Amino acid sequence: MNFYERLIDEPIKGFLDRIVDFLPNILTAILILIFGLAAGWLTKVILRKILVVLKLDRLAEKVGFRRILVKGGLHEPLSSLLAKITGGFIVLAFLVVALGTLNIEVIHRLIERLFNYLPSIFFASVIISIGYVLGNFLGRATLIAAVNAGISMARFIGNGVKYLILFISISIALEQLGIGRDTVLISYAVVLSGFVLALAIAFGLGGRDSAKDFIERKLKGEERKNNINHL
Amino acid sequence: MERKEIQDWINEVRKTDILVGIPSFNNGRTIGHVVRAVQAGLAKYFPNKKAVLVNSDGGSSDGTMDVVRNTVIEDYSSLLVTNQTEPMFRLATHYHGSPGKGSAFRTIFEIADALDAKACAVVDSDLRSITPEWIELLVKPVLSEQFDYVTPLYHRHKYDGTITNSIIYPLTRSLYGKRVRQPIGGDFGFSGDLARMYLSKDVWGTDVARYGIDIWMTTTAIAGNYRICQAFLGAKIHDPKDPGADLSAMLFQVVGATLDLMETYRETWKTVSGSGPVPVFGFEYAVGLEPVAFDLERMKDRFRLGVRELMGIWEAFLPGEVTAFLNDVCERRDVFHIPDEIWVRIIYCFAIAAHKQIMSKEHLLKSLTPLYIGKTASFVEETLESDARDVEEKIDRLCTAFEENKHLIVENWN
Repeated sequence: MNFYERLIDEPIKGFLDRIVDFLPNILTAILILIFGLAAGWLTKVILRKILVVLKLDRLAEKVGFRRILVKGGLHEPLSSLLAKITGGFIVLAFLVVALGTLNIEVIHRLIERLFNYLPSIFFASVIISIGYVLGNFLGRATLIAAVNAGISMARFIGNGVKYLILFISISIALEQLGIGRDTVLISYAVVLSGFVLALAIAFGLGGRDSAKDFIERKLKGEERKNNINHL
Repeated sequence: MERKEIQDWINEVRKTDILVGIPSFNNGRTIGHVVRAVQAGLAKYFPNKKAVLVNSDGGSSDGTMDVVRNTVIEDYSSLLVTNQTEPMFRLATHYHGSPGKGSAFRTIFEIADALDAKACAVVDSDLRSITPEWIELLVKPVLSEQFDYVTPLYHRHKYDGTITNSIIYPLTRSLYGKRVRQPIGGDFGFSGDLARMYLSKDVWGTDVARYGIDIWMTTTAIAGNYRICQAFLGAKIHDPKDPGADLSAMLFQVVGATLDLMETYRETWKTVSGSGPVPVFGFEYAVGLEPVAFDLERMKDRFRLGVRELMGIWEAFLPGEVTAFLNDVCERRDVFHIPDEIWVRIIYCFAIAAHKQIMSKEHLLKSLTPLYIGKTASFVEETLESDARDVEEKIDRLCTAFEENKHLIVENWN
């Protein structure tokens, strides 16, 4: 065997052989994935129709579940939401099977780890969902309260509360997933202290005159200019 | 006073013709005057009737109940009362249940039922303008004219009672077809039968027990086809309310209670169109009223802030023309005017949104605050030079707009 055969020809030939061996697996995986996408979509459509026929949305409204979703800013009907989630899971399941057909040791191990990881993913998704619903609810409550208190930065404060809750829930979810525990903790501390510092500076410097004005007005009783009795 | 003691007291009194109830919570400063007015009213106008006074207290720590127990009129002759024959019994007791005016009223209804009272009246404990004549005006229509429910009619400053004038009165009138001018006045007369009916309703674990009792009593009486009249009581002056009281919380409670009743009586109000007068008793006279201070520019600023920041919430249920109009009012600096038709649509859309539960009812109704302030500012600006009669005519036109557009709420309810 000469130098050319050993260095160039052999490896290329081996590589091409492996591709030829591997190609059916890739094609199978792609086919499974396409089939999975179609099955997911079909499941979503059919399940949505079944749930509508079963009047799930009306039941959700009766037991107050819809109100909880709406309060959290999820205006989609429960039937549609469940159909989408189920369809998504079917696509995910087909994706896992498709990856399995590739017959690669690393992917096998990854899939195995993924399955072990699923409970954590589930709990993390629940935490983020609760955070999303709670963030929207408290953000809106803060916005309305701030507007009614006459605070011109109402939207900023409302959004601040909303994203802070979302951020906290994402941090907790990441910790649940075991991703960068220390990083999350440090970044959380940095962001929170930065936020408080920014507020302190903003109010301390920017609002100095307003605060003085407000206290003066309070002391002089000028804030009570409106004594309309509403009832 | 324990339950057994109350029962002993009821056993002692046995029956009564008239019962006057006073709900209270830390009203030691003002309740003495109210008790004296009630005593004088009963002695002067119902000398031959057996009467009891019941103070239903929410756990005052300022000696309110002691004031009730110890307040007596030393010299009836100075009130030109000479022929008092029946003694007046009195009871001061803590009520049970959730803290609130509704629970206090429940205790009063229970005692009225136990004593088989023929006519009852309830008056607020912070009143400064109550006179003995109020008792006559609230009780006599029940005792002598067979009315079941007597609502108050006051002379109020044109900027006093703005939630009543711009929302509660027009909405109640258009929904149930009765022109009850002060549906949440707070001082009412009612028959023993009506008290028993109130007691039989399963609402004492709800918000009615806490804050929605006034509109609940009025609406329940109207929807139940009870005979209703109004009594002209003159001026209503009471202890100043806590200036820190949150307007949005007040709006949520009062409007929320009214909208809750729309759910209960949907079959009643859907079939009603137009409205009819309600008989008035009492001699109407003009009274001097305390001036009301306001800061119009600040009110407009609150409205503009609300339009800028809360439009995202309102857009989910207010029609495009209304939101466009609100944006326009917000932008303009020359004219500030919210017409009745726009206000009617806003209130009806809020009612429908609450019915369809498109978001938390508390958020929804608290978000109404800037719009209400805007409407009040518009009303103030339009009536700066108006006298009481002009203002009343303007409120009447608003009510007509509510009645004429009622189809909007009937058609969109389901």
